[in-house]
Amino acid sequence: MRRTGSSPPVRETQDLSLQELETRLRTIFLAALAGDAAAYRLFLDTISVRLRGYLRQMLARAGRSEASEAEDVLQETLLALHLSRHTYDATSPVTAWAHAIARYKLVDHLRRSGRHTANLPLDDEAYQLAGPADGAASEAKLDLERAMAALPERTRALIGKVKLQGTSVAEAAGAVGMTETAAKVAIHRGLQAMAKFLSRRGERPG
Amino acid sequence: MQTDELIAVMTAGHRPVDTGWLRRATGLCALAALALTVLLVLIVLGPRPDFAGAWSTSPVIAKALLGASIAGTALVLFQRSLRPGLKPGRKLPLVGLPVALVVAWALATLAQAPVADWSTLIFGRYWRACLVAVPLYALVPLVVLCGLARRGAPVDGRLTGACAGLASAGLAILAYSLHCPDDTAPFLATWYTIAIVAVTGTGALVFPRVLRW
Repeated sequence: MRRTGSSPPVRETQDLSLQELETRLRTIFLAALAGDAAAYRLFLDTISVRLRGYLRQMLARAGRSEASEAEDVLQETLLALHLSRHTYDATSPVTAWAHAIARYKLVDHLRRSGRHTANLPLDDEAYQLAGPADGAASEAKLDLERAMAALPERTRALIGKVKLQGTSVAEAAGAVGMTETAAKVAIHRGLQAMAKFLSRRGERPG
Repeated sequence: MQTDELIAVMTAGHRPVDTGWLRRATGLCALAALALTVLLVLIVLGPRPDFAGAWSTSPVIAKALLGASIAGTALVLFQRSLRPGLKPGRKLPLVGLPVALVVAWALATLAQAPVADWSTLIFGRYWRACLVAVPLYALVPLVVLCGLARRGAPVDGRLTGACAGLASAGLAILAYSLHCPDDTAPFLATWYTIAIVAVTGTGALVFPRVLRW
């Protein structure tokens, strides 16, 4: 099994209060919205560690403690965050925004998999993002690559390249013969296809 | 695909994001839907025959204000309900304020009128037409707002639907005020309120089914 450790800036954020987490994430996320890709990466790395802890805790309370399940919901949540960046209200807390999306995806996941959501506490609030986060990622069961089956070959090759650490978009775009802008549009379509694939999965329980 | 790979792909596809788009789109969609609804009312029903003289009388202005204030408040809440983490539901009772004013006005009117006139004051001439027309014309903004809601991230489909229903009823009342020939306060308070509740209920029931994301 392949495990990925968190990068150093993420480690530091493990024992922050919600207020500290919010202050730090807000600055980073506002920079990301303005187009700073490095800030966006840092935001996603940080928030995914917090969300993983939150989702594991909530799934455990709902009687499910398989790590791959939390990882699946986390990936779904991250895709939703990404595709809903434009719904963030710049005057509101970014942790509350991320938490509300994660909660929506979690409830949706539990409902679709045919279990009651009754065990899920109604009062779970964003502060739980500041709870202890067991950072290490685990293997996801879902194969997101399958979601891209309907996309053009070139897009799949492009995504295969950019997912590797250290390959820039410009390099990957050049390698498959696209401009950087076209590559970003293609990646966007790929992510939309993944999100669609995930929300269709298991529409019927079982 | 592992989570860190997914994050790498999302970062690679990242571009500057416009967080004001939803707000502007809601305003534009509401204006477009209102224009379309007004056009339909004028073509299908036509303006009231005495419109030239009646438009500046208090009942017509009251109808337009009722519609506009409900639509305005509900549209703000609708837009906010498309942004996760905000809780616009707490402010939903604000929409009841203009309705409460009209009800108070109606009760005052009834209190001053002889009981024998109450039935005429409440039922007017065309209460059935009002009851059918307002919800029917409200479908135009309701469909437009539903399309817009799919571009947002509604975490509470019922709330988004109720806000969209209220806004649509408000816009339809605004448009229908060009035609509606009944001018008494008890008429407004009764039939317009029922129409508003019907459209709001429709939104709250239908939107959660259509707005999965």
